[in-house]
Amino acid sequence: MDIYLYVPADTPVHRLDPRAKMAALLAVLLLAVAADHPLLPGALLGAVVLVAHAGRAWGALRRVRALILLIASFSTLTWSVFARGTTPLLGPVEVEALLFGVGTGLKLACTIAASVVFLATTSNEEITVGLIRLGLPYPVAFAFSTALRLVPTFVGAGATILEAQKSRGLDVESGGLIQRMRRHLPLVVPILAVAIRSTNQLALALESRGFRARPDRTYYLELRFRAADRVVTAVSLVLIVLALYLRLFTRALRIPGLLT
Amino acid sequence: MFPPDLRAGAPAPPQEKTAAVTVQDLAFAYRTGDGALVPALRGVNLEIFPGEVVAVLGPSGAGKSTLCYCLNGLIPHVIRGEWSGEVRVFGRSTRAARPAELAVDVGMVFQDFETQLFSTNVELEVAFGLENLATPPAEMRRRVAEALALVGLAGLGRREPATLSGGQKQRLAIAAVLAMRPRVLVLDEPTTDLDPRGREEIVQVLDRLRAQGRTMLVVEHETEQAVSADRVVVLEGGRVAASGPPAEILTDADGLEARGIQPLASAALLSRLGLPPALTVEDAVRVLREAGYRIDPDRYAALVRSDRARSADGDEVVAVDDVTFAYPRSGPAVRGVRLRIRRGECVAIVGHNGSGKTTLAKLLNGLLAPAAGDVRIRGRSTRGQSVLQLGRTVGYVFQNPDHQIFAETVYDEVAFGPRNQGLAEREVRARVDEALAAVGLSGREGEDPFAMTRGERQRVAVASVLATRPEVIILDEPTTGLDYREQRRMMDLVQRLNAAGHTIIMITHALWLVAAYAHRTVVMRDGALWMDGPTREVLAREAELTEAALRPPPIVRIGLALGAPLLSVDEAVAVLRRT
Repeated sequence: MDIYLYVPADTPVHRLDPRAKMAALLAVLLLAVAADHPLLPGALLGAVVLVAHAGRAWGALRRVRALILLIASFSTLTWSVFARGTTPLLGPVEVEALLFGVGTGLKLACTIAASVVFLATTSNEEITVGLIRLGLPYPVAFAFSTALRLVPTFVGAGATILEAQKSRGLDVESGGLIQRMRRHLPLVVPILAVAIRSTNQLALALESRGFRARPDRTYYLELRFRAADRVVTAVSLVLIVLALYLRLFTRALRIPGLLT
Repeated sequence: MFPPDLRAGAPAPPQEKTAAVTVQDLAFAYRTGDGALVPALRGVNLEIFPGEVVAVLGPSGAGKSTLCYCLNGLIPHVIRGEWSGEVRVFGRSTRAARPAELAVDVGMVFQDFETQLFSTNVELEVAFGLENLATPPAEMRRRVAEALALVGLAGLGRREPATLSGGQKQRLAIAAVLAMRPRVLVLDEPTTDLDPRGREEIVQVLDRLRAQGRTMLVVEHETEQAVSADRVVVLEGGRVAASGPPAEILTDADGLEARGIQPLASAALLSRLGLPPALTVEDAVRVLREAGYRIDPDRYAALVRSDRARSADGDEVVAVDDVTFAYPRSGPAVRGVRLRIRRGECVAIVGHNGSGKTTLAKLLNGLLAPAAGDVRIRGRSTRGQSVLQLGRTVGYVFQNPDHQIFAETVYDEVAFGPRNQGLAEREVRARVDEALAAVGLSGREGEDPFAMTRGERQRVAVASVLATRPEVIILDEPTTGLDYREQRRMMDLVQRLNAAGHTIIMITHALWLVAAYAHRTVVMRDGALWMDGPTREVLAREAELTEAALRPPPIVRIGLALGAPLLSVDEAVAVLRRT
């Protein structure tokens, strides 16, 4: 089972330092929500698509394509109907509301796509080391990466448990809510038991491998902050400031005539 | 003191050397959640010398894992309980140092390969221990590469551990420990959870380490693998019951059997015939030939006749027609399989992991639906039938009982299936009583299944399927994780169920169990049916089995060397005759 989005490759995007990529991701996320007008998130989405192309992240994007389309079109539709503007267009929909709806849909699409491209081009361990270098305490970072490692193990155990109970006639799909929740007991109990046993074993294995044997430790992955990383980080910082300025101090790129 | 490679073939007398590990009067009792003490070790004395390979054998509950945990200080530092005695590693008491500090002296490999890997890629997994020791990155890179090469994983450094096979995961766990260059290596049942191919991989790695003169203590699940050790230690009831060279300990077939350890087929056969002992198949064959033993043709013919008598001629209950199945985003797991199973048959499905055995079994009870072809149970296609409906005819016992046990009492656990079928509580009670009687757990309805031994939990799982009275019972590796006695007990149960009219389909890696219990054997290879026939005929085709990465069990190989496949020591005793 492959639940990770990371696609190993050697591209300029992959080669960037995870800290630079985190800054860029933050800039995109903040910019996306800095304005209501679809122009900005639209342009950003275009940029994200270009980066995805450079980082060969198409496979990862394709895997979440349905999710992106669903969320984007759903929010476009609902906001077009429920937001209120001043220039009537068609039935209950006003021009401003439609713009706002499209803008919201693009914002969401942009946020998801940018995060996916980040995860597709940055491995778990790069993220972990990046976070440590940014000041995250090692035990916290370790817990984070171990959780990532255990996800496939627990997903696998969960799938087996579901099959075992279905074979004994468990039906989790029919009945009322309370009934259905009660029926999940035969799934939850074994999963918890497996998790507890695994955690105990894990603690033994950790001790045996010298975990925190001494106060200092070294890191196998060495990060190098190159010129390209400096440029990306600098640009990202400027964009982050710009995004905050747009959101907090101006009404640029808002939609005139939208009633809030 | 000589470096290991300069030592003569025979181990020097112990008193000349300083022991690497000294265990003195070691006793330990686990403290359970409610404060009760459960004794595991009751006074163990043991010394391991540099360069020595010690194999530890013993039934479940003998204290094997506990002993391992004592050697690197997990006991008493991490695991709670009551301890007395002394463990010294290169002179240092384990009481004075935490396991993390002892990691450079004692490396520990656990049975469960899933829970001893915590990194997101192979290289980092191996580097983890070195990072903890604050090894400089350049040195770390060298040692990671060296350790991966030693276990044959070079080139897989960037893979996620989750994508590796079981054998690869366990080799990775060994590499991760080796990278720290421990002076003693302790391995707790490293092959138990693996398929034959994975086992072979680990055996090769251990052979390589042995050739390097490493000091090792290996808890072995299979007696055969203790043959190449320098010394065998038998644990029983928390004490050392026997200790000595393999030629002395492993040739005592009756002694091992009495302690709940599977005796070697060669040793058991020779002792039954009153011949001098041998450890390997080759030696046993030589001894038999020299003593003038051969297979009596008349007696063998009688054996083959009785095979025919036990082959079932009932109605067809399972019909699989040209079935193909593929999981999303991967190649076909089962392709073009055609299989017929008649009422009353006892069929073993064998093959290494990934050969499609379990997928095939899940197609039979409707957990999976064929992409092409058709599966019919008692003449009706599984298409359009739910797992619940099919469950009335086909019961499925999953490999690990812990993947299904959830109830607070044995009764409720076993009653789960019948209740799901909507039976009245009075009928449910009758079914539970019947099922628990069949698995030998009558009178234990009120017990907490979580507190039972693995062998008992496995029997609860079987009972919970029996209670739905399925005509066909599928058992997925019913003996994994069980010791020799429990395995026998489980298979005797399966045999009784078969005799009572149930059709049995069992998936297993243990070919000696196949030889002893299955009438018919189906071999899967790369998703296709590779061989199918009476067990005696299938196990006789050594070359074809080798192509499927399987090997006939020792007793069959002894028989084949003498001219015909023999399925058990009893059979061999019955047909061998001195000329």
